[in-house]
Amino acid sequence: MDPSSMNSPELQNLLAQEKQKAMISEMISKLTSACWDKCITGSPGSKFSSSEANCLTNCAQRYMDMSLIIMKRLQQ
Amino acid sequence: MDSFSLPSSGSPPKLSTDDIMTQLRTQLEQAYAEEFLETVRGKCFDKCITKPGSSLSGSESSCISRCIDRYMEATGIIGKALFNQRH
Repeated sequence: MDPSSMNSPELQNLLAQEKQKAMISEMISKLTSACWDKCITGSPGSKFSSSEANCLTNCAQRYMDMSLIIMKRLQQ
Repeated sequence: MDSFSLPSSGSPPKLSTDDIMTQLRTQLEQAYAEEFLETVRGKCFDKCITKPGSSLSGSESSCISRCIDRYMEATGIIGKALFNQRH
């Protein structure tokens, strides 16, 4: 393996990929936390009810819808 | 996550790109695991330990166990929901 320079395009590219993955992981983490609070109101059971599971799915997707609206609005 | 440590010494060894990326990924995984643990601790404490007694009751312990499983399941559901999005 060649010693790298911090400026090598290969390294920069790999770092950019890791940054993308990290941003996605963070989003999943934050959304899970927020949607858990919204959707899992009682004591945790041995499985999710279908309404709890649907709520979690809806929560994530509505968050994405909202995100789009906000971006569009801020671009006007 | 704000800093990543690289080995430091009097004359720093030259690290290959592979070495740097391996260290980065390892440290990222550790940071995520810690963050996940911290979140689960908070959520399950809120849900399961409503009136702290002088020891953990059986129902508190089973609540905690279910809570951990459900939180991991919720993480999977959210991940899937984000990537099955239709606009």
